[in-house]
Amino acid sequence: MAYILFTLSVLLVMGFVGFSSKPSPIYGGLALIISGVVGCVIVLNCGGVYMGLMMFLVYLGGMMVVFGYTTAMAIEEYPETWGSGLEVLGGLLVGLMMEVMLVLWVLSLDEAVVVVVGFSDTGDWVIFEGEGSGLIRGDSIGAGALYDYGRWLVVVAGWTLFVGVYVVIEIVRGN
Amino acid sequence: MTLTYMNIMLAFTISLLGMLTYRSHLVASLLCLEGMMMSLFIMATLIASNMHFPLINIMPIILLVFAACETAVGLALLISISNTYGLDYVHNLNLLQC
Repeated sequence: MAYILFTLSVLLVMGFVGFSSKPSPIYGGLALIISGVVGCVIVLNCGGVYMGLMMFLVYLGGMMVVFGYTTAMAIEEYPETWGSGLEVLGGLLVGLMMEVMLVLWVLSLDEAVVVVVGFSDTGDWVIFEGEGSGLIRGDSIGAGALYDYGRWLVVVAGWTLFVGVYVVIEIVRGN
Repeated sequence: MTLTYMNIMLAFTISLLGMLTYRSHLVASLLCLEGMMMSLFIMATLIASNMHFPLINIMPIILLVFAACETAVGLALLISISNTYGLDYVHNLNLLQC
């Protein structure tokens, strides 16, 4: 259980190899959704509850749905999956082999990581807890500071989204 | 370098390589672009949690906002290509013949 974060990051890399080996985009979207779920669990394991929820809602629930039905519009009759054809399978196997060799090399080291503080054999999920109430979540406070210190950034981002809708309409209109 | 950070940076590099290589579809490269944005989001959130510096959390949120804009524009271009040529095959984009 001490290596759960490392295992999840290895699964993340494998999911990324799954859609970077370029199968048909509907299978690539499936691999991206799975990678997104694994990445969200990584974020949750480090205590970022609000950021994980936002990634689920905005990223997977918003952008991937849009990708899904856009891909359904531009798909051919026989989409190629990971097993059909040598290019996709070769890319997938090379990526997986690279990740397996990386894991084996890392596990063969004597000490785990020595960054600033040496976390020898406790994995890399140890976050030191300060004293305090414990009810204030760090990432919610940080995201809330967006509307305090970064209020001009909120205005700019909102205006960018608004203009982006007009850009999309103008592009899709064609002539 | 922590192992998790190394894996996330590796995921970013793999998505970058996937975006730069074209096979037949254009939307596959857009998917790899989405993967790059997601790996950057995860990396920034992990740094914000592990360094106990909550103010960095602003950066992944704004990154997600602008990645959504970028996705929308990319998909709009894909739709206009698909309206002109029927499918989004890359070999249809041959206006700049060199």
